[in-house]
Amino acid sequence: MKLIKCIIRPNKVDEVKDALAKLNIAGMTVTEVRGHGKQKGHTAIYRGKEYNVSLLPKMEIEVVVADNMADEVVKAVVQAARTGEIGDGRVFVLPVLESYRIRTGEKES
Amino acid sequence: MSLTQPGPGGSTLVAVFDAARSELEADALRGTGGRSSLERYSDRVDAMLRQLFAEAGGPDVRVTVIALGGYGRRHLCLQSDIDLLVLFEQAIGSTEERFLRAFLHPLWDLGIVVGHQVRELDDFKKLETNNAEFLLALLDSRPVAGLRPLFDRFRARFHTASTHAFILKSLLELIDARHAAFNSTLYQLEPDVKEAPGALRDLTATRTIAMLTDPLLLRRGPADPAQVDQAEDFLLRVRSTLHLGAGRNQNVLSHDMQERTADLLGYPGAEPRQRVERLMSDYFRHARIVMRSLEWARKSAPVPVGPNLGLSRDGIRFLDPIVAARNPATWIGAFQAAIDRETEVSEEALSCIHQHVDRYRADDFFPEAADRSALLRLLTPRAGLYARLSEMHDCGLLGRVFPEFQAISWRVVRDFYHKYTVDEHTLLTIRNLERIATTTQPERQRFRNVLAAVSEPELLVLALLLHDVGKWRDDDHALESVRMATDVVDRLQLKGEAREHVLFLIRHHLRMSLIAFRRDTEDPEIVKTFAAFIGTEERLKMLCLMTLVDVGAVSPETLTPWKEELLWRLYVDTYNHLTQRYGDELIERNQAGLDELLKQRPEDLSAAEITRFLEGLPQRYLQLFSREAIYRHVRLARDIHPDEVHLSLERSDAAVWTLAVATLDKPYLFSNICGVLSSFGMNIIRGHALTNPNGLVLDIFQFTDDDRFLELNPEAHQQVLQVLERVVSGKADVTSLLRGREQSVLHSPGPSRFPPVVRADNEASGRYTIVDIVASNALGLLYRISRVISRQGCDVDLVLIATEGGKAIDVFHITKGGSKLTEAEQQALTSDLLRTLEGSL
Repeated sequence: MKLIKCIIRPNKVDEVKDALAKLNIAGMTVTEVRGHGKQKGHTAIYRGKEYNVSLLPKMEIEVVVADNMADEVVKAVVQAARTGEIGDGRVFVLPVLESYRIRTGEKES
Repeated sequence: MSLTQPGPGGSTLVAVFDAARSELEADALRGTGGRSSLERYSDRVDAMLRQLFAEAGGPDVRVTVIALGGYGRRHLCLQSDIDLLVLFEQAIGSTEERFLRAFLHPLWDLGIVVGHQVRELDDFKKLETNNAEFLLALLDSRPVAGLRPLFDRFRARFHTASTHAFILKSLLELIDARHAAFNSTLYQLEPDVKEAPGALRDLTATRTIAMLTDPLLLRRGPADPAQVDQAEDFLLRVRSTLHLGAGRNQNVLSHDMQERTADLLGYPGAEPRQRVERLMSDYFRHARIVMRSLEWARKSAPVPVGPNLGLSRDGIRFLDPIVAARNPATWIGAFQAAIDRETEVSEEALSCIHQHVDRYRADDFFPEAADRSALLRLLTPRAGLYARLSEMHDCGLLGRVFPEFQAISWRVVRDFYHKYTVDEHTLLTIRNLERIATTTQPERQRFRNVLAAVSEPELLVLALLLHDVGKWRDDDHALESVRMATDVVDRLQLKGEAREHVLFLIRHHLRMSLIAFRRDTEDPEIVKTFAAFIGTEERLKMLCLMTLVDVGAVSPETLTPWKEELLWRLYVDTYNHLTQRYGDELIERNQAGLDELLKQRPEDLSAAEITRFLEGLPQRYLQLFSREAIYRHVRLARDIHPDEVHLSLERSDAAVWTLAVATLDKPYLFSNICGVLSSFGMNIIRGHALTNPNGLVLDIFQFTDDDRFLELNPEAHQQVLQVLERVVSGKADVTSLLRGREQSVLHSPGPSRFPPVVRADNEASGRYTIVDIVASNALGLLYRISRVISRQGCDVDLVLIATEGGKAIDVFHITKGGSKLTEAEQQALTSDLLRTLEGSL
């Protein structure tokens, strides 16, 4: 199993969700996050005063999928979330050692 | 038999008067000269005055004779003055004077001390604030003779909430001063039964306080009203013995008089000392009851806070619930008073409203323009608004004032995010706004500042109150809300911009959250489109706040710092677009969207003339000004030649004047106009300077005339225009005009309350260097700023002028020799500006 963690633009959430749904991935965690990568934020000016906006609002979507699905999922996310501009975000793929369903306590394979 | 005619000297009148006095003296001698005895005596004096009135020709004169003070209360003592008000309906002429003489002279001949006041009805248009005792005496007025309707008109004029409030305040001061003269103790060995603490004046004062604030007050007091009545009767009986003994208006119960009074009042005891002790112990007992009642009344009386409204310990109450029930237009005032006094509306008042509210329709609550303004004023976001609106909702008032709101009362709409009924969600948006207005959270200050900058925040609250009323239906609620809100703004008779703002906000209340949270706001096109859609900074501010509080009222978790950040960024980007980039988007020859403007044009304007005028002005011009204003501008700019200036100066509302200037551009133009306005002491609060590529300049200034120069001098209007014309056409020099004026116009008036901000930017606009200036507003500020810009050789192409409270926010779009400023030029300009603003130049 793989944990796929996608940091994307807030306005791309619906498109990424739709793309994942097409792959029959129903379960996901969506979190509002703030951070920066290469984009590093920028200086905003309001009424002559500068404000450093270093942490930009992003959305994080996490899904856990079978190993053989991972590539396809990553491809779908990248395609849905891309604008081609700086600040499009990142996708991380992490191995998942074990997974349990809390309601039943049963271990999932 | 006539009272005055039988013999010279009025002997018959003397006889009648003597008989009345003898009867009272006999009562006093028996120790029974108390209340009923004094009332009888007063009635006899009444009858005597009526007879005199008739014989003096009173029935032929538009006059009424009114008993005042103690006589008004029918407590006339043996040696008391007879206090009268002779009130004429019209101005006093010879007939009235003849009547006065005929009426008063016989009284004087009788040796009666008459304290008479003569007034005309119109005298009561204005409160006589220099004579509190007279006003107090008027509270006890009672008609004795003459025209009853005239007396009723006097009463209606006199008994107003503001008069009552003034009298109450004066009364409390008089009590304090009087008590101080007695060292504030009632335990006097030789008490003055009229003036001392706990004596007759205090008793009257206690009743007056209740009468002015809450007629039922004394029923809840520490003493049974019957005990107070007994104290009064006792004090009056004592006073009668004093007047009898002294033969004059003498009220001190001295040691000598104590023995005599104790005897007359029949106190038992073998020794005079015992009888006196019993008398004095009774005196102190009664005086203590009076004193405690007075203290209670002072402590517990509702403070009058408006017509029929009092502030008491349980909140705002109707002083007279029966009157309140008949006057629904006064109900809103109860909630306003509660907000003003940071309290609540009392349960009693709420249940009074609840009981009667169904009898009235929406219009009954705001029949007059003043009531409509009061309703809007109530909606100003501040601490307590949510709680008061909730009270109004609970007692059924809100749903009657706004039947549209009733449609969503307890309305449940099932979706995955809303946690409250629609009505409560709506009220919570207002609570959120109220919290922003008062927040101390550092991360919320930016929104608080935006709210502080909204010029009519009550319109935002009105929009919030109505934004979801369309949810009584299941389909597109924003459209339905607008339909319903249109009825509300019609009833409130909101006009022009105010009306448009409210309907715009309701129609588009979801737009900004959609863009902030679901669109790529880093895309300049998205911001540009949104800026074009929103049009003005004022709407942007209101919609931003509306979005913030609306999202925050969905559930406790919906509004996250993350969402606030996204919203703020969209706000800033759009604000910057509106203020800094609009100079890049000009009206073109075949501009779309002008059809309506051209179609509705007045006869004297041709379509070609309008399009010629508009071409090259920023597109934003079309959003800033109404059609009528644009037509006026077209006329103003007609046939303009070099060195000519066309001006129009109009009063926009009670406080604000608008000056429109059309001319061809030249150095120092903007600065000169500002200088002329400053030289007349005008305070510029808003404005726009616009230039088109052909050099046509259109400057619109809105200013306040704090010295009321324009209002008070018939010549002033013309004078201002003439000076402007001379200065702009180069025939007069503005600096010489200003030299004779206050130094503050030429120089900064000392250190400002916050450091000024000056920032030049070449990135924001494709054509201009943008200079943002935020500084403490002061007379002549714009003149000083623009003079520096011109002195640096820059051309002022576009200017946005705004003030928010004491803060001036100005955005200059400038060029030098047709191009943006170089880095070095920007540097020179900003430091020159900063030095000027900091007052070091």
